[in-house]
Amino acid sequence: MTTTLIPLSSRPPMKRRGRGTWGLRLAPYLFLFPNMLIFGMFTIWPAINGFNMSTYASSNGRTFKPVGMDNYTTILSDAQFWAVARNTVIYAIAFVLISTVLGIALAVLIEKQKRFKVFFRSVFFIPVLISPVVVGLVWGWMLERQNGIVNIGLSWFGIGEVPWLVDNGWSMVSVIGVGVWMQVGFYMLILLAGLQAIDPTLYEAARMDGASPWTQFHSITLPLLQPSVVVVVVLATIHGFQSFDFIYTLTGGGPVGATTLIVQYIYENGFQSPIRYGIASAGGVLLFVVVFLITIVNWLISRKQEAV
Amino acid sequence: MSAQQNPPRTWTSLGNVRLSDALRGVVLTAGALLALIPVLWTVLGAFKSPTELAARPPAFLPDSWALTNFTEALTRFDFGTYLRNSVLVTILATVLTLALNSMAAYALAKYNFRGKNFLFVLTLATIMIPLQVILIPVYQVVAGLGLVNTLWGMIIPAAATPTGVFLLRQYMLSIPDELIEAARVDGSGEFRTFLQIVLPLCTPALAVVAIFSVMWRWNDFLWPLIVAQSADVYTLPVALARFNAEETVPFNLILAMSVVSIIPVVIIYLFFQKQIATGIANTGGK
Amino acid sequence: MARLRTRLLSLVAGLGSVALLATACAPGQTTGDAPKPGESVDPASFAGQTLNYVYFTDGPDEKGTRDLIGQFEQKYDVKVNLEILAFSDLVKSVQARLTGGNAPDVVRLSSLSEFRDDLLPLDPYTGADFKNEFLPGPLSAVTNDQGEMIAVPSDLTMNAPFINVDLFNKAGVPLPDENKPWTWDEMMAAAKQVKDATGVPYAFAMDKSGHRLSTILSEYGTTLVGPAGNTLDTAAAEAALGPIVQMMKDDQMPRDFWLGSGTKYKGANEIFLAGDTPIYLSGNWQVGQFSQNAQFNWAAAPNPCAKECGGFPGGKFMAAFKESKNPALAAEFVKFMNSAESQTTFVTAAGSLPTRVDLNESGVKYADAKTQAAMDVFAAELGRTPQADFATNGHPAFSGSATELVNQVSAVVAGNTDLHSAMAALSTKIDGLVAETKH
Repeated sequence: MTTTLIPLSSRPPMKRRGRGTWGLRLAPYLFLFPNMLIFGMFTIWPAINGFNMSTYASSNGRTFKPVGMDNYTTILSDAQFWAVARNTVIYAIAFVLISTVLGIALAVLIEKQKRFKVFFRSVFFIPVLISPVVVGLVWGWMLERQNGIVNIGLSWFGIGEVPWLVDNGWSMVSVIGVGVWMQVGFYMLILLAGLQAIDPTLYEAARMDGASPWTQFHSITLPLLQPSVVVVVVLATIHGFQSFDFIYTLTGGGPVGATTLIVQYIYENGFQSPIRYGIASAGGVLLFVVVFLITIVNWLISRKQEAV
Repeated sequence: MSAQQNPPRTWTSLGNVRLSDALRGVVLTAGALLALIPVLWTVLGAFKSPTELAARPPAFLPDSWALTNFTEALTRFDFGTYLRNSVLVTILATVLTLALNSMAAYALAKYNFRGKNFLFVLTLATIMIPLQVILIPVYQVVAGLGLVNTLWGMIIPAAATPTGVFLLRQYMLSIPDELIEAARVDGSGEFRTFLQIVLPLCTPALAVVAIFSVMWRWNDFLWPLIVAQSADVYTLPVALARFNAEETVPFNLILAMSVVSIIPVVIIYLFFQKQIATGIANTGGK
Repeated sequence: MARLRTRLLSLVAGLGSVALLATACAPGQTTGDAPKPGESVDPASFAGQTLNYVYFTDGPDEKGTRDLIGQFEQKYDVKVNLEILAFSDLVKSVQARLTGGNAPDVVRLSSLSEFRDDLLPLDPYTGADFKNEFLPGPLSAVTNDQGEMIAVPSDLTMNAPFINVDLFNKAGVPLPDENKPWTWDEMMAAAKQVKDATGVPYAFAMDKSGHRLSTILSEYGTTLVGPAGNTLDTAAAEAALGPIVQMMKDDQMPRDFWLGSGTKYKGANEIFLAGDTPIYLSGNWQVGQFSQNAQFNWAAAPNPCAKECGGFPGGKFMAAFKESKNPALAAEFVKFMNSAESQTTFVTAAGSLPTRVDLNESGVKYADAKTQAAMDVFAAELGRTPQADFATNGHPAFSGSATELVNQVSAVVAGNTDLHSAMAALSTKIDGLVAETKH
């Protein structure tokens, strides 16, 4: 029985040998082809077209007027855009941090749990299944200042009314909270699958060596969980920056723009009168570039750590 | 696993099983309540009338458990057809997704070839494209292929989910190479190796991707909205959205429809629960 | 590090070449062939054809539409596919279909701004006299610069206050006479009296909508936009909105309601239904819901007068697309659906007001007495409403201006700015919007 499981990425590339080298060389391309074909046709090509629109002005998606970089200069000099950008960054950072930590905590706790394990595993995932529009609706009722059950519940503990949705600061807190509530089950599931892959004999060996539970967590669980953690951080970053549906239902981007994020900005420019496709597209390009850079940096940092 | 006298896999420094178990139970239960209460609120709301929903402060339990909201919502439109479409699209899309994604993930995880990193980054990048920006261009492609207003038009384009590829690739990274090498030496072809050795080992990850795919396709709204034109191709979320935009929003009907909509997904999720739990049965050489 | 750099470089190069390729291809332009108007259309020639009607519903109107479609299908032996969507989704869907060369034939719209250039001028098909069958106000919204009808106003909505009669009676405050409406000051004094006497949370509630705010603006003698462009009189706007903002600050009006939903429309009908306010400014589409669900006696009242009386109109339109495969049939369908008989069927089912001159004069008989009483009030308000309001509602920049109006009022309520600066900022924004939506 092998005792260690070294992630593939830290090993040197496999040597190709044996018969059928031609088949071996072709194989990866064949495996990739169907997926990439669909990607190319239905995501990448339209994305190129969509991004291309950012150098034009259009109010109906059919007639275009070339405007060069005007859309970008308009956006970047728009005070509302910078407010929206700031809101998005705050939300994304909070969302990623809280969901990742919470996800790990939940996955670890559930993994250790003996009784009602299946119940707990399912329960946290149910919020993920609810449509974002309904999430916004129901939380909107629950967070009402005067009659929402959250404040009613808090009043039992003697805490006064909290203006969850009508105060600038609290509305951001509410949006982050609901966002995490909605998604953490998703990340927990990924981390749980990753936890399953850790060889339990490692823990036994460590315990017999006298390692404390915290040391076990620190030197066995976390490092071996890293590929899953990277997945969660990358996905959470992307989801965080792209949040829109539930926020729009929950606060409409209010009060007075305090929770308006970048996708809402894009949406309003692309689908509400007066329609400005060029601006929406330019906003989309900016969002994409920012998320792309952050993810690449994330990814490279994690690659470096894996190599150690 | 060798039998242990006292298997306390606990983390408290005293090794006291009871304390840590209790603590963990409390924390998890509190979390579960937090997760469930809004869901409970939704379900309770589905039985309330508009006046009850508008009451401030709101009553906890509905006046009556009559199914009026459900019957009214379901008779407002052709529920049977929408349900059928949702089911078909979800199942076929999930099958297609699992097939395509697992193959692509395998290539990206277990081979070294030119363009690997580029393609991987490209895959990752596609997750970041905001849907609103490509909505119209995608429609043009779909229209060009004659897939508009067809179920396949809703199934195929979104099947190559980049998130699925990403998840599966990460998971496959931890499958030991020795297994694959051993199969190769035994004369197994690439595809057979993939099918018989690698895929079964990926069951937890495949289950996860399957659940996500079911959830995404079942709740997917924007895509069917754009592709579908005639009512016989609509899916359930499109119908739900219609309620939301009426001049006086029938919240009671929306809640009822949402509850009906959630049930199948929950059932499927519970069904896949076991697969996730299986984990990797053995480590090392089989 | 060097490997990293080369990898990044090749990645950038790859993406860059793709981008270069893309910029070389400009997005396509679809050309719509202008269909030739039929000289005289023989109804029999329609037999066996199909029409796609993209529609959004507010609930009760759907049955009326389906009944009328049934009649049309029988009369001409055609098939009409009714495709129902939410309005915001309808816009997205139709935009997509127009770019894909897949336009529907007929569409129901709540505003003409999004598709103005794609709508089929109906005059060649319906005859030049058709337009005279409609009230001048709504007609002005559907007439383009060449004087052609690009849509038909299919039903009209009007804003007015709803009263909780029980609360007024309980407080012993008299209701206004139908022919002698309150002034704004009188109405607010009465509302506060009722609130104090009965102990309900609020004195006044209104939907969070630029459309409703425009009602108040109209009563104080100003509108947001008009044929001349920016028509906002900021002094009048301050006079109009001052009391509203003050009431929210004093908690006489629900403040959280206003701040809690961002830029989205939100109806305060629930607050009224819960019996929490004696007066609720909304419109006739609530009548059906109130008839069914209200647990108290309610009535519609005439709008309060300041400089002007009356309310602010809204309405829906039916239009055909230039790119329809069968423009003659589409135009015929639009005409049929808005004949006197058809409109009567539709508005009684939907609980809205007719747009035809003949129906307006003769009055429409609604399903039950309660609805009839309320709708009569709204119909009377139609007559008191300044004609300029119709043009405002139909102006391409109205939608954006109304949203900005809501934003500014919210900012004042939240304490971010004062009303004077807010109105000045609004006016500047309207200038920009008018310039942007100019044709």
